[in-house]
Amino acid sequence: MSRKKAVKGKNSSPTAGSPTGKPKGKTGKSTTGTGSVVQTNGMVHPSRPPLSNSSEFYDIAFKVMLVGDSGVGKTCLLVRFKDGAFLAGSFISTVGIDFRNKVLNFDGVKVKLQIWDTAGQERFRSVTHAYYRDAHALLLLYDVTNKTSFDNIKAWLTEIHEYAQQDAVLMLLGNKADATQERVVKREDGERLAKEFGVPYMETSAKSGLNVELAFTAVAKELKHRSMKEPNEPKFKLQDYVNKEMKSAGCAC
Amino acid sequence: MEKKNKANGVRSPQLRGFNSTVIQSPSGSSARERVHSVDPYGFERSPDFDYESYEELMSEYLAVLTRRSIKWSKLLQGRGRLEKSIKVKRYVRKGVPNEHRGLVWMSASGAQNQLEKNPGYYHSLLDASRQQHDPKLVDTIHTDLNRTFPDNIQFRNTSNPCLQKSLYNVLLAYGHHNPAVGYCQGMNFIAGYLIIITKDEEKSFWLMDALLGRILPDYYTSAMLGLKTDQEVLGELVRTRAPAVSQAMGQHNVMWTLVVSRWFICLYIDVLPVETVLRIWDCLFYEGSKILFRVALTLIQSQQAEVQRAGSLPDVCDSFKLMTRGPLVEDCHTFMQKIFTEPGSLSMATITKLRETCRARIIAEES
Repeated sequence: MSRKKAVKGKNSSPTAGSPTGKPKGKTGKSTTGTGSVVQTNGMVHPSRPPLSNSSEFYDIAFKVMLVGDSGVGKTCLLVRFKDGAFLAGSFISTVGIDFRNKVLNFDGVKVKLQIWDTAGQERFRSVTHAYYRDAHALLLLYDVTNKTSFDNIKAWLTEIHEYAQQDAVLMLLGNKADATQERVVKREDGERLAKEFGVPYMETSAKSGLNVELAFTAVAKELKHRSMKEPNEPKFKLQDYVNKEMKSAGCAC
Repeated sequence: MEKKNKANGVRSPQLRGFNSTVIQSPSGSSARERVHSVDPYGFERSPDFDYESYEELMSEYLAVLTRRSIKWSKLLQGRGRLEKSIKVKRYVRKGVPNEHRGLVWMSASGAQNQLEKNPGYYHSLLDASRQQHDPKLVDTIHTDLNRTFPDNIQFRNTSNPCLQKSLYNVLLAYGHHNPAVGYCQGMNFIAGYLIIITKDEEKSFWLMDALLGRILPDYYTSAMLGLKTDQEVLGELVRTRAPAVSQAMGQHNVMWTLVVSRWFICLYIDVLPVETVLRIWDCLFYEGSKILFRVALTLIQSQQAEVQRAGSLPDVCDSFKLMTRGPLVEDCHTFMQKIFTEPGSLSMATITKLRETCRARIIAEES
């Protein structure tokens, strides 16, 4: 079998390297203590199969964090991606922080995403921002039916710039795009804001499934590309990929 | 957070309702047919609920409940009050029957005194003509209304009466009463339980006041310093009482907040089965916040070997999730006996001292 089971010794993988291929400033094992699974090269290395997914094989792993105001749909987005389900009214508010894993397969390479779900309420940030440091990617969500959650995006970006790695992949998502009646944030407003901050952007709906897979796939591809870059491979452009693949809220999907 | 599946979860043994069917199982019917799919508090049992184990457990626990119920009725003799004593403390540790829970919690926590000293206060907080409701507070509470116990039939907006309205009132009143806290996620679950048990908004409000104002440290304020402190205090206690766990936490760089913040913030709601949580709260109202540490230590010590075997941070997290499931926590009566024996002695003085040290350390680190 060519694919090794997730065991010790993966650190020697020839593809191991920083997602950007550059040495990072703030990286490395933190002294105050978070996510030990993250090695200095920025990848998550399995040291043994996790209890819950003992049969799961993977080649590389990354940490993705979901952030954004309370009630924008972070947990729903995660569950939709993980289990393909959306059960209205079955979610309880997230208190603290939790994570789930999902393994994706790109051209024979298994990429494990360890997705961290966080409480959105402002006061919990002082508890959760310690985890930003180890995130390879952050999905920042607002709710297109809630203007405040959109207005708070700038504050979230400040928070992310302060605590996350500089080269972490970041994407802005306008969630609940299915709710046409209640929508108060126009798609163009999201686009404009994303452009202003140079962040890839799209609208999603955990309810309909719109672009959910794409959001996670796009960051996973970007991270994989950064860490396994072949010499002649053209550069992966996240925004171009997203623009090509994404569906708009209006179309049937 | 997704609605949690409590595999084998015994959410709530009860006294009334189906006790006769539990004891005299009619031949030919299954536990699934005999046990109601909604528990006495209104929570729907999860699809993978183990009816057989539950019934087995209940057949024993019902005897305990009946005995305790008789003893409590004698003790209270129709009085609406409870004087604290060694005997009462022992009684509380053995569990307060559901019909007396409201009264015992109100008395033991001092909430009853506050209610009597402040007639009309609760309603004045809700009177919009006297006080402009803070729109931000209203918004924040609204965000969580549909996300509080969607698996409880009493909280559905189709139910009548719908406890969502009471939940909103209690949280809004509390937010105005204590602006330093306002509303913090987690309080929705606490208020929800209080409403389920007392069936009374005003009492629930004063019990919130007792919990957040006197019994617990400052878990819910914007800096959450009390929470951060108690997480570290637990870390210190684990270092001496479950060293293997401490070592694993250090080895895999797991911050305590990752695995236990919900335990403290939600006071074990949705972490442990309903009946177990209520038994813990009996002691919490009577003896104070050190009970939370007794519970945490009992859980952690029970899985010491498992945590030690963990090979990574996710493994450690998984083993902490395993602690809160299974027979240990489902058999609430035995579990409550364990929390007073397994962790060893734990004085309030020890906790107070550790809290001072940890708090100072956190403040120094944050500044």
